[in-house]
Amino acid sequence: MLGSLVRDHRVVICIGSGGVGKTTTSAAIALWGALQGRRAVVLTIDPARRLADSLGVASLGDEPRPVEPSVLACHGLHARGSLAAMMLDQKGAWDRLVARHAPSDEVRERILKNRFYVHLSQSFAGSYEYMAIEQLCVLVESGAYDLIVLDTPPTKHALDFFEAPQRIREFLDRRLVRWLVMPYLSQGWAAAKAMNRTVGFLFRKVEEATGIAALAEISDFFSAMSGMFDAFAARAQTIQAILHAPTTAFVLVTGPEEQVLTEAEFFSQKVRALHMPLKGVVFNRVHEEFPADPAMFPGGTVARADEPAIAAAMVAAGVARERVPWLASNFVDYQLLARGEALRMEEFRSGLPRRAPFVSVPNFDSDLHDLAGLRRMHRYLFARTEHAPEPSVAWPEPAQARRAPLEPSASRAQPTLRRRTRAEKPPRSPRR
Amino acid sequence: MHHELYDRRVIFVVGKGGVGKSTVAALLAVALAERGKRVLLAQMGPGRRLGELLGVAVETDAPTEVLPGLSFLTIDGGMALAEYLALVLPVKRLHRLVVTSKLYHHFVAAAPGLKELMTVGKIWYEEQLESTYGRKWDAIVVDAPATGHSLQYLRMPEAALEAFGPGLVRREAQKVVDLLRDARRTVVCLVTTAEEMPVNETAEIHTQLRDRLGLPLGVLFVNRVHTAPLTPEEIPALSGTPRLVHDVLRCAREESGWAAINRRYLARLQTAVPLPTVALPFLFAEEFGLREVRALLVHAEGQLAALPSVVGRDA
Repeated sequence: MLGSLVRDHRVVICIGSGGVGKTTTSAAIALWGALQGRRAVVLTIDPARRLADSLGVASLGDEPRPVEPSVLACHGLHARGSLAAMMLDQKGAWDRLVARHAPSDEVRERILKNRFYVHLSQSFAGSYEYMAIEQLCVLVESGAYDLIVLDTPPTKHALDFFEAPQRIREFLDRRLVRWLVMPYLSQGWAAAKAMNRTVGFLFRKVEEATGIAALAEISDFFSAMSGMFDAFAARAQTIQAILHAPTTAFVLVTGPEEQVLTEAEFFSQKVRALHMPLKGVVFNRVHEEFPADPAMFPGGTVARADEPAIAAAMVAAGVARERVPWLASNFVDYQLLARGEALRMEEFRSGLPRRAPFVSVPNFDSDLHDLAGLRRMHRYLFARTEHAPEPSVAWPEPAQARRAPLEPSASRAQPTLRRRTRAEKPPRSPRR
Repeated sequence: MHHELYDRRVIFVVGKGGVGKSTVAALLAVALAERGKRVLLAQMGPGRRLGELLGVAVETDAPTEVLPGLSFLTIDGGMALAEYLALVLPVKRLHRLVVTSKLYHHFVAAAPGLKELMTVGKIWYEEQLESTYGRKWDAIVVDAPATGHSLQYLRMPEAALEAFGPGLVRREAQKVVDLLRDARRTVVCLVTTAEEMPVNETAEIHTQLRDRLGLPLGVLFVNRVHTAPLTPEEIPALSGTPRLVHDVLRCAREESGWAAINRRYLARLQTAVPLPTVALPFLFAEEFGLREVRALLVHAEGQLAALPSVVGRDA
């Protein structure tokens, strides 16, 4: 279902809260691109060691490392394109940024040795996000790739990430620097006070609070950086252009748990507010709800009370009697869990843009951290409807569903629920 | 059923995103409140998970009692800074002048680390608060953000010590660092699931907290542990069975598969993260709320009581 999404976009940005399989999903998308003939690269934050190992790029570094075709061939895969992987190195990236934009060696050294800069680049929150987006920019500009998949930091601070370019620009705003630094350097406090009462007051307070040394450091940092501001400002514009390009797609990766979905909603609202609409949603580790035989389960769904009947059916099929109680209760556990997940996913979906494809990947019976695992994911991420799991369920399709690309797993959910959620939306008023 | 974890004033709950930090934080807070303590459950930074869990609709910027003896608070760095300035600048007009100025907003939005510093500072401030009965809170349980950000938060006070010359901020930062490092008052608990990526990250954060930040470490909570009486190999083959039997066996295979993974990584955790460990079972719950937290607490209490007395020892 993500096939056309990947085909029509050059940059795919996977967002979502931590622990939902963003890294694995990103790698699976990039691998698929490579198999389809794209020059693909995945920029990751936190690779599973086993995944890096299996790609033959055990030492993921701050440059894209190509995945050898022989590694793919071992798994019977023949990429018509190419695959590369890289890991974000925060410290190095800041230094390279400075090196690239510093007007002279002397300025570069001054910045790199500045205590404020050292903290800014290493200790302080937010710089991780700056760097992820900076690296994306470098990869796009290099022209070496036609599919770039970005695995975003596992963070609730989605805001930081998307607003990073804006924040860089504000932080390095010329006017701000002029206010904050220049009077201090050129005219001293008296001038600052005369210029603006608020500024003068704030200066005194900042100085009291921080101690002169810090302010002098910061001043020095800014005056050293002043030659680089235009370069940074241009950079921020490039980044904005990439994020808003029609060839850039945001894909939300999430899980079916209640708390995870609450955060997914937040992410979805956030990107919409920033005019970067979601172009796909991936649900990972979904428990499969199996169709319940109406002859055996009158309600159409499995309930706790059905355990004895299930156990009896197992015994009849020749399963060893002592194993049956656990098998039956485990099945009911799974089906109740799956039912709850299906309802929650359907509710979540009703709040999303109609056309966003919606894919669910099952929980499987192991975690996916190798090439074989990525291939298993492909079956669901890029399947056409007929390849999807357990398609035999005969839920009636609501008429409207044909217009939106629906996933089979979603169409399995009770149509009554979907109709209700649609009905709840306020009717569009034909106001002129 | 007493464990020295319950004697600390501040318990930080740290771990990779999505492993159940909020669940463990809520569990500890409920356990303390049930012991008659006045507990503050504080969530660092934005997010709605903990609020959902407690059935609180919105983020609260003032402590709100959600259960008897248990108050909930969301700490927003920007808000904490404004609050802090109100303490430093007691003259109302001046305070308003600063907080409403454009420059202030630029500075706050841009200054890296300031919000983080203020967030940790706010926890220190709450710890110090007095009421007519003595300390306002007997215990503060902190639901920290995902690992990477947690480290940045916990490192900020120290970074501020290094970055700032003598002055007010430095003095304040020193107090916060003192609290964080004091093993009699503070303890950091880790949360993970027994799977590859969370285990790797937990091993790493454990090393960082112990060796680089020198913070007192407490208990490792391993969340969502699957158990199954059968190994994947013991489950009969799937082919040629009736549909229902096939589905039942598939679910069994899935569960025993995860149980095997959890067993393997629990064993790895024993060497990679040498902390007393509490395992919390995966709950098959259609919804996850306070009732489920209480169910997990029953599992945790028994194990905590049996743990060796090593909490807060010097690393």
